[in-house]
Amino acid sequence: MRVRLPDGSLRTVEADGIPVEEVLARLGVNPVEVIVTRNGILIPEDASVCGGDEIRLVRISHGG
Amino acid sequence: MGNGGTGCSRCSQEAVYLQRATGRHLCSAHLAGEVVDRVRRTLAADGMPPAGSLVAVALSGGKDSTVLLSLLQGIARETGELDLVAITVDEGISGYREETLRAAAATAARYGVPHRTGSFAGLFGRTLDQEVTGQEHRACAVCGVLRRKALTILAREAGADCIATGHNLDDEAQSVLMNWLRGDRDRLLRDPLQGGQRGFLRRIKPLREIPEKEVALYGVITGLFTPMPECPYRHAALRGEARAMLNAMEQRFPGTLERLVQGQRRLARGAAGQIPAPVGSCMRCGEPATGPLCQACRLLEEGCFRPVRHR
Repeated sequence: MRVRLPDGSLRTVEADGIPVEEVLARLGVNPVEVIVTRNGILIPEDASVCGGDEIRLVRISHGG
Repeated sequence: MGNGGTGCSRCSQEAVYLQRATGRHLCSAHLAGEVVDRVRRTLAADGMPPAGSLVAVALSGGKDSTVLLSLLQGIARETGELDLVAITVDEGISGYREETLRAAAATAARYGVPHRTGSFAGLFGRTLDQEVTGQEHRACAVCGVLRRKALTILAREAGADCIATGHNLDDEAQSVLMNWLRGDRDRLLRDPLQGGQRGFLRRIKPLREIPEKEVALYGVITGLFTPMPECPYRHAALRGEARAMLNAMEQRFPGTLERLVQGQRRLARGAAGQIPAPVGSCMRCGEPATGPLCQACRLLEEGCFRPVRHR
């Protein structure tokens, strides 16, 4: 699946039918710090994701 | 649930959020409703500003203050008992603040709330960038003290009775940990909810019990959240370390942030009266102070900023 990281870069992750939090762990991203959408829809961090999904991560904290 | 989703713990809709501390899944509507309910409960518990009060809402233009203004505007409209003014401080952080300042102005206009702005350059003579060049690790400490001062000046100029800030649960927990790491006994034992006495302008934090992720999700759900640039000083200071450490703990041990904050409040309540309160007035600006100068004016005296103007 394709994962858009908070910095705008794109990563491809080989995974199918696993919780999105496992995808985040592989990418070194803490689920507490991001909002996750799958194909444009908000999902909880334990939702399953599949190979064709488009995942987007948005960082929630910007301030100092 | 279709599309591999998980159901809301309170209805049949698909969940958008796993609240790890309780193990519940929440859909958009129930998450938003719970955020609104908690803000109302916090305001009631801390003491709603009296009818007729003018509340200065600290509006940075980021998600927390935007959500705060939206929620307070809803309460003000519903009760007809509060007036709001938005106040924004331009610290002078190039490449970061321009976009959020535009967002703040647009948000205030959207809600029809009067908007006042002030800048470090105008109030103190220099921008934050100028003050901390070569000493970036000081940025958050300097910014925190002076922004607080600037907000107080703007709120007093607006004739406000209190200041509402968008501090969320994560902010509060980070402050507690930072006070421990600095060994700052007085701040650890001072009840952060006390205020409005001894000449201080009262401060309220209606989002203080809401995790940052829930504030952000509420912002997305209600169309208020726009990704903003990161503050360039975000990673330079102790707060960034505290944030990363606490987020790692929260992920492994859900509820850590809430327990840390609640523990500090219990400590503060147990130590009530043991921490000396400011008894005098700052000889420069007239704000309450423990010594001849308040914290902001001490900082200004040490640095190259010019002293704040007298009230």
